[in-house]
Amino acid sequence: MSVLGTSPDRSDADAKLRGQAIFGADLARTGMLWAALARSPVAAGRIRAIDPAPALRVDGVLEVLTSADVPDWRTGVIVSDTPLLAADYVAYEGEPVAVVVAESRAAAEAGSRAVAFDIEATEPVSTPEQALAPGARLVHPDWNRFAVAGGADIGRDGNVVAEVVHDPGDLDEAFAAADVVVEGTYRTPRQYQAHLEPKMALATYESGRYTIEVSHQYPFRLRDRVAQITGVAPSAVRVVGHHIGGGFGAKLDVSLEAFAALLARRFRRPVRMQHTALEERLVAPCRSNAIVAVRSAVRRDGTILATEVEIVSDSGAYANNGPALSSIPMFVFGSIYRVGTARIRTRNVYTNTAPTGAYRGVNGPWLVFANERHMDAIADALGRDRRDFRLASLARDGDLMRNGQRLEEVSILREAFDRVEGVASWRDAVARSSQSAEAVTDVLRGAGQAAAIWLTNPMPGHATVKLNEDGTATVITSATENGSGAVATGLRQIAAEALGLAANDVMVTMPDTDATGYDAGSQGSRTTHVVGRAIADAAADVRSQVLDRASQMLEAAPEDLVIADGVVTVAGVPAANLTLGAVAQAATWSDGPIAAGASYVTPTPAHDPMCATGMLITGWPTPTYHLHQAEVSVDTVTGRVTVDRYVVCQEVGRAIHPDAVAGQIQGGVAQGLGFALCERVDLDHGRYVQRTFKAHGLPLAEDVPKVEMIVMEHADPAGPYGAKGAAEPPIVPVAAAIANAVSDAIGVPMDTLPITPEAVLEALEAEPNGEAVARAAREPVLNRDGEQRRETTGRAS
Amino acid sequence: MPGTADEQSVSVRVMVNDRAHQLDVDAGEVLLGTLRDRLGLTGPKEACGEGECGACTVLVDGGPVASCILAAGSTNGRVVRTVEGLAGTDELTTLQQAFVRHAAVQCGYCTPGVLMVLTALLDDVPEPTETDVRRALAGNICRCTGYQQIVEAALEAAGTVQS
Repeated sequence: MSVLGTSPDRSDADAKLRGQAIFGADLARTGMLWAALARSPVAAGRIRAIDPAPALRVDGVLEVLTSADVPDWRTGVIVSDTPLLAADYVAYEGEPVAVVVAESRAAAEAGSRAVAFDIEATEPVSTPEQALAPGARLVHPDWNRFAVAGGADIGRDGNVVAEVVHDPGDLDEAFAAADVVVEGTYRTPRQYQAHLEPKMALATYESGRYTIEVSHQYPFRLRDRVAQITGVAPSAVRVVGHHIGGGFGAKLDVSLEAFAALLARRFRRPVRMQHTALEERLVAPCRSNAIVAVRSAVRRDGTILATEVEIVSDSGAYANNGPALSSIPMFVFGSIYRVGTARIRTRNVYTNTAPTGAYRGVNGPWLVFANERHMDAIADALGRDRRDFRLASLARDGDLMRNGQRLEEVSILREAFDRVEGVASWRDAVARSSQSAEAVTDVLRGAGQAAAIWLTNPMPGHATVKLNEDGTATVITSATENGSGAVATGLRQIAAEALGLAANDVMVTMPDTDATGYDAGSQGSRTTHVVGRAIADAAADVRSQVLDRASQMLEAAPEDLVIADGVVTVAGVPAANLTLGAVAQAATWSDGPIAAGASYVTPTPAHDPMCATGMLITGWPTPTYHLHQAEVSVDTVTGRVTVDRYVVCQEVGRAIHPDAVAGQIQGGVAQGLGFALCERVDLDHGRYVQRTFKAHGLPLAEDVPKVEMIVMEHADPAGPYGAKGAAEPPIVPVAAAIANAVSDAIGVPMDTLPITPEAVLEALEAEPNGEAVARAAREPVLNRDGEQRRETTGRAS
Repeated sequence: MPGTADEQSVSVRVMVNDRAHQLDVDAGEVLLGTLRDRLGLTGPKEACGEGECGACTVLVDGGPVASCILAAGSTNGRVVRTVEGLAGTDELTTLQQAFVRHAAVQCGYCTPGVLMVLTALLDDVPEPTETDVRRALAGNICRCTGYQQIVEAALEAAGTVQS
């Protein structure tokens, strides 16, 4: 019986439920020291002096190190712009300036607070607009001296960290031929990952090598980054992974680990570090805030002739992965909807704010928000039903995305519209919204849709599968279990399926960069697809070794053997059988132990390498398709938005563990609702406004409705048993669907997130006859004859 | 030294997971620190440090408390239960088993606190409604699950208790 499509227990559930699971933040070592960072209290300024004396007077403090005591080179994933400790100037509040080593955690933290700074504060470059303004102060005056990985030309210029430009050069003609030009500007704030386990590190230095114990999503990147920062070969760093208390992208790069490593070497003792609660918030690599301006040339029959997109995202004080993420608009605009031609420019800019980074879906949630708000705006301008307009605009199989990549199965999305309609009629939802708008009531109802295509991260993975002498199997991999279940269930099921075992008969290791092949970590839903494929290939090899050995033992041809439920049987001869344990035992002591390894990396889809300048992500591999539909009620007295109904139709290739897929959809939607409606990450002169956990306004159990789910399976021939990625994308269309529904309900375009009660009331106040405006807005800009060409401008709230 | 508390420390006698402890705790020490650093009970998790996320929740005299903001010195004569004390060395409790069945555990960092809150709820309200369960969880952030599978597990456990 197949173990795929069933939901066996997670391998880590028992330990997590008993409080036995040791997370990174639970780690301790005999004789360990503690260290803590002293961080810049200002967003920008020149360091005049640092006085460690007050810190050294704290009982238990051993040493205070500043930039002069640590490697002085700058490093980074893409742009080497980040110093380990700031030397001449600080570029954001929270930037590390000194590190304090002590005998206890309390002493280290007290010492870090006691370090005295003399910093001449300067007016910070607070926003992307300020960073781009003519004559703006340069966040990094010596930006031109920073090295870029591989020497890539990413369009850097002053405060512009990266620029990606796609310009086929034929837009002006299209705009000249348009009947209507629809414009909108879509603004979104940062989003804080809010993983509960703080970032931490435990480092030791022995026999010339560092060992870093940590809860991290990408141990091999951490290995390479610690090596880069400390100036040793990657092989001199070993990273050992422990249970991860949430990451959502925040635990993909180095944070405290290099400090702990250098100090472990200096003191020849284990060194432990951990963020305080405030540090967590000050330096979290939030999803970037962004401004997306979209302008479309549309013909009266609904044909979009051209779209022009101008994007500015905020990198914060250092580049991090912003340059790579700047390619993603190429896969959102002019992909699932036909837009004729498109000009897309994305600029990622430095500001004096905490560096932004990876958060589940990276810039997808705000790009799809802009794209789908804009689709509603066009539909309204044309007087078209918004769903009908989407269906009419949908790309067809064989269409090309902006990078020249062929959309092989975008028709899945058309099916998704049908499937959602089957459970939640759009016509009925829209009828409800109109009815309530006509009735005298304080509650307005609305409906919205948002669709997306999302990738499965293609980066490399490796796995070894060994058959144990008792007939169980062990998967050896550094794939990280971030909570999704991809490792704790999915990978075990894939190995079990290939070997004819129960999922519980497959063990999987924790990450250890000394022991396993390279793995690119838990990001972009890649684990089940990429590592799963490596496991399927390795397990197939193991299986053929089993069949070879068993065929000798059973005196039957390998092709006549069947493996099921841990037993090898000669087909049609049930009595002629051997347990896998017996085969493994015999093999071990004759030919040698049965094991095999395999690697996989998803090939980059065929594309046009000349499609844009500055692109670091050139293809959109193993795409999946998504349609979300939301129905909301808006209380016009309180401004509160209630989500009455939320339907997700998601294509996953193959659902290996349906309960885990459901958990990812429900959890992804919850995070998306937070982004859409209630979460706050505000900046004031470069500094974060929210200083407590509660202030972020994360969704609670009472805020999140049960999500209705339709999981579609279109097997991917390259995936393990057809599986594509599933975990990341459920967050991507949520804010768009919710904003479309709220805009429909109140009749005012909500083009800025979050849509808080205050924002709703403000919008209603600005448009006192919101309902009337709503209907007027739905009146077509063009009359039926469409003689008059008029322009409409999407209003920002 | 037991019983030689100076001005900076407080002597408490506290029952933790059915075992009596005599402890000299620091004046500013919070219960979470006592449990994790002195008693080795790392089930209660350190997270927000402000009593807002619920990951550190333990039961004190049967009621859920954020141990990261509760002075350890205030627990004298109290009965404390942590996640380690739910099943002890036995089979998982009905609630814990429901969590396994409903895939209500993802990263697992909120789980110890969530379990304590729901254990207290099921003690107080044997037949909770979905609203009761969601309201009880108002002090627990789960960033992974979107709460649904947790709520379903709690409701199933309650039903099982009834039957």
